[in-house]
Amino acid sequence: MVYRTGIWPSFLFPSPSGVLENLSAGIQDLSIPIAAQISIQRLFIGYSISLVIGLLLGIMIDRIKYLDQALSPLLLGVQTLPSICWLPLAILWFGLGEEAIIFVIAIGSIFSISMAVVSGIKQIPPLYIRAAKTMGAKGLRRYTSVVIPAALPAIISGMKQGWSFAWRALMAGELLTPTSGLGYVLIMGRDLHDMNQVVGIMIVIVIMGVVTDRLLFGRVEHAILYRWGLTRSH
Amino acid sequence: MLEIVNVHKNFKTKNGVTNALQEVNLSVKNGDFVVLVGPSGCGKSTLLNIIAGLEKATSGQVSKSGRPILDAGPDRMVMFQEAALFPWLKVIDNVEYGMKIKGTGKRERREKAIHYLKMVHLTRFASAYPHELSVGMRQRVALARALSMDSDMLLMDEPFAALDSQTKSILHAELQQIWGATKKTIIFVTHNVEEAVLLAERVIVMTANPGRIKKEFRVQLARPRNMEDIDLTRTVGQILGELKEEVEKVAKAELDSDWSLENSSFISRPDTHLGNGI
Repeated sequence: MVYRTGIWPSFLFPSPSGVLENLSAGIQDLSIPIAAQISIQRLFIGYSISLVIGLLLGIMIDRIKYLDQALSPLLLGVQTLPSICWLPLAILWFGLGEEAIIFVIAIGSIFSISMAVVSGIKQIPPLYIRAAKTMGAKGLRRYTSVVIPAALPAIISGMKQGWSFAWRALMAGELLTPTSGLGYVLIMGRDLHDMNQVVGIMIVIVIMGVVTDRLLFGRVEHAILYRWGLTRSH
Repeated sequence: MLEIVNVHKNFKTKNGVTNALQEVNLSVKNGDFVVLVGPSGCGKSTLLNIIAGLEKATSGQVSKSGRPILDAGPDRMVMFQEAALFPWLKVIDNVEYGMKIKGTGKRERREKAIHYLKMVHLTRFASAYPHELSVGMRQRVALARALSMDSDMLLMDEPFAALDSQTKSILHAELQQIWGATKKTIIFVTHNVEEAVLLAERVIVMTANPGRIKKEFRVQLARPRNMEDIDLTRTVGQILGELKEEVEKVAKAELDSDWSLENSSFISRPDTHLGNGI
């Protein structure tokens, strides 16, 4: 409808049919699936790295008291920094390519995950820990069997937030470093003045984001909240 | 045998140091059923936590069978006011948790868990999650979990305080029966004198500010005991008499200083004037 009003010329605001055509062409010649696959691969690697480091960092901060005092304010500060701001440094450190983007993805979600771990552990009802103590659970055993499960709902929501940060970081990284992936196809559309392609890729990005958020994280989060008795509906 | 010798406990608060326990001496024989009663703030829960090893005494010695108590351990199972079940585990896994930590084999663990769930009449709910149970059922699961550890001592910190009176009286009967069957040493904390007399062999009356042991009563009534029992009521009356002074002291400290039980216990009702003023 907005297109029909003709306020903008068609090379600035594409028609829905043009976008659909472009999308189906892109899917048929496999350029969109290939780009999507590359992007997802990067996201997967970057997110996995941030999961491992974020969890370990969070647990370390919880275990070592002076680390908590030293790092917690710093983490909060670093977390407010949009991760794309790391890109110039990342390009200098890793060069213009895969590693720089993966670094930006990882750094975007590490801090939100580790902060979720720290606050999740802090919010565990002390009663669980006391009960575990009287049953003789000590050290690592207590950690794996009580502390982590008790903090899991908070950790999952941190992971979800981390995922959306990672996703944004990925797109920003791909837009700014001309290599490959969905973001690169998007920026190419701009360079070629092909607004059909730009909007088409935007739609693909939205769909992928919604799908992972709803189907993957939404379900996992809901299942955990239900099992932990934090929600009543199923 | 549990020996508590000259235990003191101080808490640091904003308004200085609070004397939670002062000069507490108590020895508990194996197989004894001891109930600590007293007004709120008399340190009875603190004493229980020190025995459990969850808190440390400021000074004094606590030892069990000759060994000093330094840390919490599975030889002294604790039942809290809340069930303290792990919400991410099914009922049966909750019961098995302690045995798993202890290293009991898988088959034996399951058998014992079912045995104790049967004892508290909850086998039907073995694969439910704790949040699907009522408060009373959760507390029974906690009891099954505590029993399954085969500890010779059971510490109970007002475990039935949050339950409705029907569930409570069922659990009272079950606890008496379980104590008779297993001969565990039980140390039970409550502020309810009726509950204390119903369950205990020895009732220890504690006082507040500073918390110390005031008097000990031996309850030598036949079991199973019953709330309506006239002898039980008499003993309750004796203990309440001992406690009245204490309760008043606490009330005075917490309420206005001119508060008195005597003045406020007389209830005048205008419709029972017995004909005066005719």
